[in-house]
Order: sequence, then C-alpha cells, then structure tokens
Amino acid sequence: MEKQKKILVLCGGKFAFQSLQALAYEKFLCGVGIGKGNDRTIDALERESEDNIVAFKSFPDKKSLKEMRIWLDEVQPDYIFSISFPFLIPEDVLSYGHDKFINFHPGPLPQYRGPMPIFEVLKNQESQTAICAHLMSSTFDQGNIIFNDIVQIENKDNYGKLTVKLSGRMAHVVINMANMVQFANKIPNRPQEETDAYYFEKPDFTDTYINWKRMGAEEITSLINACNPWNTGADACFQGEQVKIIAATVVDKPHNNKVPGMIISIDKDNSINVACSDDKQIAIEIMSTDEGIVSPKEFNLQRYIVGACFN
Amino acid sequence: MQKIGILLARSTFYHTISFDLYEGLRQSLKRLGRSDIKIVTENIGFGADKQQCYRSAEKLLLEENVSLVIAYIGHRTAQLLRPLFLSANKMLIVLDAGANLPQEWSASPNIFYHSLHNSLGAWLAGKQAANDGYKNGGMVTGYYDGGYLQTYSISKGFEKAGGKICFNHATGYKKEDFTMVPLKSFLKEFENPALLTLFSGDYVQWNFEELKETLNKNTPIYLSPFGFEETMLETAIHPNTKIKGVAAWSKSIENNENTLFTETIESIGRTPNLFSLLSWESAKIAIKVLDLLNNNNGNILLTAQGLHTYEFDSPRGKVKFHSKTNTSITQLYNAEIVTSEDGKCQVRIDNIISDTVEEFETMSQLELDNISSAWHNSYTCI
Repeated sequence: MEKQKKILVLCGGKFAFQSLQALAYEKFLCGVGIGKGNDRTIDALERESEDNIVAFKSFPDKKSLKEMRIWLDEVQPDYIFSISFPFLIPEDVLSYGHDKFINFHPGPLPQYRGPMPIFEVLKNQESQTAICAHLMSSTFDQGNIIFNDIVQIENKDNYGKLTVKLSGRMAHVVINMANMVQFANKIPNRPQEETDAYYFEKPDFTDTYINWKRMGAEEITSLINACNPWNTGADACFQGEQVKIIAATVVDKPHNNKVPGMIISIDKDNSINVACSDDKQIAIEIMSTDEGIVSPKEFNLQRYIVGACFN
Repeated sequence: MQKIGILLARSTFYHTISFDLYEGLRQSLKRLGRSDIKIVTENIGFGADKQQCYRSAEKLLLEENVSLVIAYIGHRTAQLLRPLFLSANKMLIVLDAGANLPQEWSASPNIFYHSLHNSLGAWLAGKQAANDGYKNGGMVTGYYDGGYLQTYSISKGFEKAGGKICFNHATGYKKEDFTMVPLKSFLKEFENPALLTLFSGDYVQWNFEELKETLNKNTPIYLSPFGFEETMLETAIHPNTKIKGVAAWSKSIENNENTLFTETIESIGRTPNLFSLLSWESAKIAIKVLDLLNNNNGNILLTAQGLHTYEFDSPRGKVKFHSKTNTSITQLYNAEIVTSEDGKCQVRIDNIISDTVEEFETMSQLELDNISSAWHNSYTCI
C-alpha cells in the first residue's frame, strides 16, 4: 500500500463543506485555505481544521495570496484541490508543481468557462451540466481537462437547488479524484478544445433582465430559475417600478396576439398570467417588489393589474 | 484486432468464479460469431483492494488499449474507477450481483450495470411473504451478506406489503460463530412469523443446516436470488420447511436462449451458474457498445443513449435498460426450493414476475436516510 496522499483544499465557502468532510473522513485532507468568505464561515472552518489537526489559512484579498507559496512549502501537500476559490492562483504559487493543482469547476468545460456556470446552464435551458476536474493554469478555467462528470438538471431546479445538488455531487467527484491521485500511475488529461470554448462573464443586469418582446415562456422561466435566489429573481419593470420575479411556471395556453409582457388574467390560485413572445403564457407565483416579497394576490391588492404590462 | 478487457474476481465460496466469468464471455462471443474479439484479463482479487482494482483497470485501458472493460465489481468500486473511465472516454460494463441499491450513487454515462438483481429479488421476496399472509417477519442474515443494502430492500419490501419486521438476526461469518439458536426465542415470541433470509455461498448451506435444527415445519423461509444459486443448493440439506422466494435464473428455465447457454457451457465441461450467465449475457451488450461507439465516433453520451433503447433475449428472458440508473432489467421468477431425490435442494420455478421494471422503479426511489454499504469487495468474493 502506497503512502496516503496529502491534499490541501482551497475553497470559497460552504459550497465545499461536504467535500472537505469527505476528504477528512478518508484521511486525505492536510490543509484548508479559504478565499474571501464571511467571518462566520472562516471561524467555522478554522475551528474544524484545528479539531482535525489540519492546517488552515484565510486569504481575505488578492494581496494576501503572496503568503500562499510560503504556506504550501510549509504544509507540503501532494496535491492542491480548488473548489470555488475566488482568486486566480499566481504563477509563483503554481510553480509549486503544475500538475499538482486541480480545480473543480461547477460546469462543463470548455463550454462554460467563467465564474457562474450554474446560472448560465440554467439560463440556456441545458438538460445536464457537469463538474469538470481540470489541471490549473495561470488563466481561469483553461487548464487541461481530466474529466467532466455529468449531472442531470431537473425541470424544477433553480440556482439554489442546483447548487445544493452540485455541492453534494462535488463531494463524490472530489473523493473519486482523490482516489485517482492516490492510485493512478499517471493522471490522464487533455487540452481543452478551443473551438468549443466560451467564457461567460459574471452576469450583470442585462443578463438577468426579462426581455418580454424577445423571450419565450420557457426562456423566461429558465431565467427566473437561474436567478433564484442569488439575484432574488429575474429583473423586470412594472409601471415604472423595478421588480423581481422569483418563481413562475409555463402555461401552455395561447394568448391570441396580446402584447408580450401584458398581464392577461389572474388565476384561481392567484398566479398572474403574462403573455410571452411565443404565444404562450407564464404564471407568476412569487415576486419581489419595493414592498417586500409578495404573492401575486398581495401584488394585485395594491393596484388593478389586468391589462397592464411588464416592460 | 478489437480487444475487450475483463476484470476477474475470486471467491473462496465460488472457487470457479473467474473461470465462469471468462468462459461465459468467451463462449458467448464465439456463439455470436465474434471470436475475432480478443479478451484481455486482469485479476482483481476479491475486488476489495482499491489499488489493485484501479491499477488493473488502468492497465487494460492505457497499456492494452481495450475498447471497453467488463468487470465483476460492486457500485463502490465502480465509483473508484469512474474518473478513470470518464477521462479515458471508455465504457465500463459492471457485472453486478445487485446486492446494493442503485440510488446510493449517481449514474454516469460511462458505466452500465448488468445486474442479477439480488436487492430487487429480495424486495419482491419480502412482498411475497407479506402477501402470503405472514405479517410478522424476521430478517436473518450474516455479518458478510448483511453488509449490503439488500437488507434494506427485503425489509422495506415486506413493510410496504403490510408486514412488520419483528426481529433481526445477523450471525457470524466463521463456521464456529454461525448460529441460528437465537431465533428460537424470537419464533416463540411472535405469532406465525416468516423468515426473510439473505445468504450467499456456503452460508446458504450452513443456514439450512442450522434452520433444520431450529425451525418448526410451519415457519417458512423466503430467499433472495443468491439463495437460489444452484451449485450451492446441489449439496445443501433441505431444512424440511417451506422455502420460497425470487430467483434470477435457473437451469430449468425453458427457452431457446437458456438451452443454448446451458448446453454450450456444459459442452466445455463446466457447470452453468449465475456468473457464467452474467458474462454470457454481457457479450451481447459489449458487441452493441462496440457498434454504437463505432457509429457515433466514440461519443459516449450517444452510445449511452443507444444502450437505453437496446433490448436483447437472454437465458433469463428479455433484457432492457433502466435509463435513470443505467441498470439492465429482466424478468424474475417466483420459485421454491424442493427436496431432490437425495434429500438435497433443487429449484422449482413457479412463474414469471414480469412487472420488474415498475418494481425496480419503486425500489430505486426508496429514500436511503443516509444508510450506505461499506463493503468494497465484489458480492460473494470473500
């Protein structure tokens, strides 16, 4: 039996917790580094690390990365796993061993490079996503791919649900990768296919805004799911007020050429039915307004809305 | 020449398991007119040594450059190999005893499970016991067999059909520790009980020996598919009580495929069994995978989609795939164990259970409540 490999994890917060637990349980974990992170998360991780006699270090900002190489030289891990670590690892740190840094990207590569692939796959109505294990390079998400482990996306998945699902699956993928580095003679990897590659920037208002004139019902509900809960829903404008639509479903009913964005009716279950550009409707179930998070019934009490338009 | 790899396990109970697995595959390829395919073997011991399993699979993929690998392993070892096969873009066909539950792990397009469905058979045997009117049940197993999630499926099957598990008994794994004596007090305590038993290998024989001394004739025994493994039953003493349950296969099943299988294996001087059956059937899956890979330019996702709609005839009946878990499903059999002329045991097939897809769907949606199996080895390989 070969000596157990020592793995240090660089992470960004609670998304990595299950993976850390799994690695600690299997006795792979030798250190934890957290980038940014709130005080509560940092305290919890530091305490757990102390209890488990695992090295711990916080990297609150880019400047603090200067200390990373010294820390690695002290801890001497065999491999460094990165799970949603928010900073690009500088070249002088990567020179610790270029084939020793493995990132776990929560989206398929090379198609979904960028900081928020969970948002992008949901917005693009993909039926499956992946956790990609890849070697790290001095640019984001561009190192050689080891494997893409596919994860199915359910219709009901929103950003929050898919994140929780991926966090659980991440623990399995990370343990599988740990076993690979433990037992493999060589870590197989291949360069990314640049013709399939796309880098998605962090989404801004134009990405989360519902364009009623252009978007069909499925497209709109996918955007709403992709924005829940991190953006408190998809952005829209109603009678001059910025609102967010948090939950909605597709109603496969024609609206007979009503203006896209127009509120057609209010259902018995109090959902608001809105015309979309593809002659289908969506039923809005929860919204966020200046007055708080409201059900359509509460929203309707505030004003007469049938015939009015989102724009 | 095209090459396929096979990871062969060994077992102290089933001495011939690696030969059975190899010959089942080889003879079936021959019968299918594909003797041109070279079989490359690697030994994985009991399937419990992670390094040995990984290195053996790695060797087949990276040194032998096989087109696919067939392996008699469990879900946990398949997980160990998952990144290797994903990375190599190759298909792993797991010959699965089915002693665990598929929902413990997520499916991967690179891994398909060709199953003997011990847990599904156990689930159905549990239901059968309750439907036969036995509402008080005792689950009886051993230290080894009890480490698989079949224990969960047999208990849940019994409970879903209205039964109540009144006691559990897990006996030791050495002959000197193997005892059914604690059952005596349980059997006195509960009215009209049935025993839901999970054993494989020599334990099947030991169980019957012990039960013959412990049970009265009115207490029935229900078995999962490995309890019906015929090479063990041939030398097992019948405990003189009603023995029922669910079998995956028997030599006595009457269909052309089974006749071809049993006659072919017997013609080379071997006894057909569950292991040669599993690898015999896997030859058809392997050939289909090779065709699909060829037609889809090696695209694993398209190959997996192609397998989801693939059906074929086997000695057990028609085989198809459950797409959510990438697991093959075939019909199972209500069966009994009757006394042979020499007082030993033989299988009598009563009828076909044809709604196995629906039952598997229900069973594979059971909430596991954080239970898991920690055994790494291939089932029955100790």
